[in-house]
Amino acid sequence: MELSIDRLTKHYGRKIAVDCVSTALRPGMYGLLGENGAGKTTLMRMLCAILEPTSGEVFLDGMEVSAMGADYRDLLGYLPQDFGYYPNYTAREFLLYMAALKGIPRDQAKKRVRELLEIVGLQDVETKKIKAFSGGMKRRVGIAQALLNHPKILILDEPTAGLDPKERVRFRNLISDYAKDRIVILSTHIVSDIEAIADEVLLMRKGKLVSQGTVPELTKQAAGKVWELAVSPAEAAQWQEKASVANLRHEGEQVILRILSDDRPAMEAVCCEATLEDLYLQSFRE
Amino acid sequence: MELFRLEHKKLWRKKSTRICVLLCFIYCVVFGSFLVYQWGVFGSRKDNLDGRNFDGYENIRSCQDYFHKYGELTDETLQAWVRDYQRLNAALKKEKETQGSENRETRQTYQNTGWEIVNSMLSTLYPELEQEEMRYVMIMSCYVEPDKLTGLYERRKKALHTFLDVSGQIGGERAYLLQIDEKVQEPFSWKWVEGWSAVLGSMVADLGTVMALFLAVVLSSLFAGEWHDNTSPLILTTRNGWRKLAAAKILTGLFFTLEFFAIVAVGMIVLQLVYLGTEGWDMPIQTIKMIAIAPMNMLQAEVYEFVFTLLGAVGFAGVVMLISACCKNHVLSLLLSLAVAYGPMAVRDFSPYWLQKAFDLLPLVGSGADIFRTNTFHLFGHYIWSPYLLIWVPLTIGILCLQPAVRSWARRMRG
Repeated sequence: MELSIDRLTKHYGRKIAVDCVSTALRPGMYGLLGENGAGKTTLMRMLCAILEPTSGEVFLDGMEVSAMGADYRDLLGYLPQDFGYYPNYTAREFLLYMAALKGIPRDQAKKRVRELLEIVGLQDVETKKIKAFSGGMKRRVGIAQALLNHPKILILDEPTAGLDPKERVRFRNLISDYAKDRIVILSTHIVSDIEAIADEVLLMRKGKLVSQGTVPELTKQAAGKVWELAVSPAEAAQWQEKASVANLRHEGEQVILRILSDDRPAMEAVCCEATLEDLYLQSFRE
Repeated sequence: MELFRLEHKKLWRKKSTRICVLLCFIYCVVFGSFLVYQWGVFGSRKDNLDGRNFDGYENIRSCQDYFHKYGELTDETLQAWVRDYQRLNAALKKEKETQGSENRETRQTYQNTGWEIVNSMLSTLYPELEQEEMRYVMIMSCYVEPDKLTGLYERRKKALHTFLDVSGQIGGERAYLLQIDEKVQEPFSWKWVEGWSAVLGSMVADLGTVMALFLAVVLSSLFAGEWHDNTSPLILTTRNGWRKLAAAKILTGLFFTLEFFAIVAVGMIVLQLVYLGTEGWDMPIQTIKMIAIAPMNMLQAEVYEFVFTLLGAVGFAGVVMLISACCKNHVLSLLLSLAVAYGPMAVRDFSPYWLQKAFDLLPLVGSGADIFRTNTFHLFGHYIWSPYLLIWVPLTIGILCLQPAVRSWARRMRG
C-alpha cells in the first residue's frame, strides 16, 4: 500500500496554505511537525479528501483518492483537530452512530464499540453523556471513532492534545501497534510523542515540506549545533536575549542553558546530542 | 436503514423535539379539543349567560338528542325548527316576566337548538327577512314567520348565484363551479351541526398553523445542527458519507412529520369520537355553510382537512429541510423557516388578490377550509377549484425541495 502525494497545493485566496507538497507514504507511523499555520491540518484534510486541493493529487496505489469515493473513505480513519460530537450522546451511542455512518453492521458495531471503549479506557463511563467528559476523555472518544472501521489509513490531527501523560503513553502504545501494517499520520506539537513512536517525521514550514526522514536522520541535521552552557542567573537572561535558548534548567547556583547555534556560542559551551525538539526549534528559529 | 434508525433516534433524543411535540399536543389536543368540547365552546351556558359550565359531554348529548326529531332539512323541518325556537324564546321571556327567572329546562332546550348556525343559514337564504332596524338576529325576536320559509333549495341556488355575481365569478368560471355544485345531493341530512362546524371550521382547519411553528423548531436544525456540533469532518470521512446521511436525514424529517401529525391527529380524533361520536357524519357541509359547493359530507370534509394538513406539513418539512441544508447557522435556519410560513400569513390580507392566491399555495399557508369557498385558480385557460391545488401544490413544493437540500448540503459540507 502506498499513499502518494503529488505536488499538492492549496490556496485560500492569495494565501498559500500548502505549497506543492510531494511525498510517498508506506505502512508505518508518520509524524507531522510544524508550527501553527504551517499547513498540517490543511494537508491532512486534503489527504482525507474533505478538502479539494487547488492543484496536485493524492493517489492510493496509483488510484486517485477523490475518484475512489466511498472505497477510499472505507479505508480511512480520521480524528480532526476540532473534534465535533453530539453533546447529549453517551460515548457508546456516539460510537454506534459513527459505526453506522461507516457502514459497519449493527452486531459487529456493538462488539467493536465495546472493544474500543475498553482500549481507550472509557468502558466505565460509556453511559455518561459526552458533554460531561473532560477534554482528554472527549479526545479518547475521538480516537475510538477513528479506529472503528480498522482503517488502513489513520490520520490523527493532534490526537494527544488534552491527554494527561499516562493517557499519552497508553495512546502511543496503541498507535505503535496499529501502525505495523497501516499508514498512520499524526500531527502534534508534542515533539516527544513523535520522537517516541514515529518511523518518519515530516517537517512542514509555511506550507512546504522542508524535511522528511527518520528521527536519527533528522536529528543528524542538528548535530553539532546544540550546546550546553553553564552560566549565572544574571547571565542567563542576557543569553536568552542574544541566542536561541531551547531549554533552561537550574543546577545549584548555576543555570544550564541549551543553546541552538551553528557555531560554538562561548568557549565554555559543550556540544551535546541533538534531539528532534532541537531540530524543530532550530527549523522555526526565525 | 440503520442510519435512518439512528438519525431518527437522534432527532427524538433532542429535548427540543420532545418539548415541541408535547407543547403542540397540549395546545391542540388538551386546549384545542378537550377543553373546547368539555368547557370552552360546548359546555352549557351559565344562567347569567357569562361563561360556560364544565359539562360539555352531557351538553353535546342533549344537543344531539334535540335534533333527532328533524332528520332531513326541508321546508317543513326548517319551519318546525323556527317555530320551536320561537316558542322556546317566548316561553323564556314569559317565565322571566311571571316567575322572575327562567326555567332551567327551557333554557337548556333553547340552548340545544344551535340557533347561531340556523340563523346564519336563514340570513343567507332569506336576506329579505333581515331588517336593518331590528337589533336582534333575525330569528331571535318573532318577526320571522315560519310559514314564509319556503323553497329552501331554490333559495340556496339563488343565493349561490348571487354570491358568484358579487364575487365576479361569471361565464366559464361560474359554469365550472355550478357543475361541481350539481353533485351536491338534496335534501340534506340534518342533525346537530355545531360540533362538526367547530371541528371543520377551526379545530382541524387551524391545525397546520400551529404545527408549522413546532415543525420549524424541530426540523430547522436537522442539517444546520451538524455545523453547530462541528461534525462535518467526521461525516465526510465515513463510508456512507454525507450523501447517505442526507438521505437518512430527509427520511427522518418526513417520518417525524408523519409521527408528529399522527400523535396530534389521533389525539384529536379520539376526543372527537368520545365527545361528538359519529353522529352527523353523513350531513353535507352545506348545513354549515349553505353556499358551499363541495359535494362532501362531514366525514369527507374532515378527511380532506386532515389530508390537507398532513400534505401541507410534509411540504413544509421539505422546505424547512432545504433551508436547514442551506444554512450553517441553526438560528438563522429557524428564523427563515418560520418566515416561510408566517411571513405570507402575516402579509396575506394586505396583498393583492393574485398574491393572496399564490401565498395560499405555499405549504401550511393556505387553509383546508377552502372547501367551503368558491375560490378558483386560472391555469392555462382552465379553471381549477382551489381545494384541488391547495392539497397537491404544497406537497409538490416540499418534494421539489428535497433534491436541492441534498445538493446544497453536499456543497456546504465540502466548503
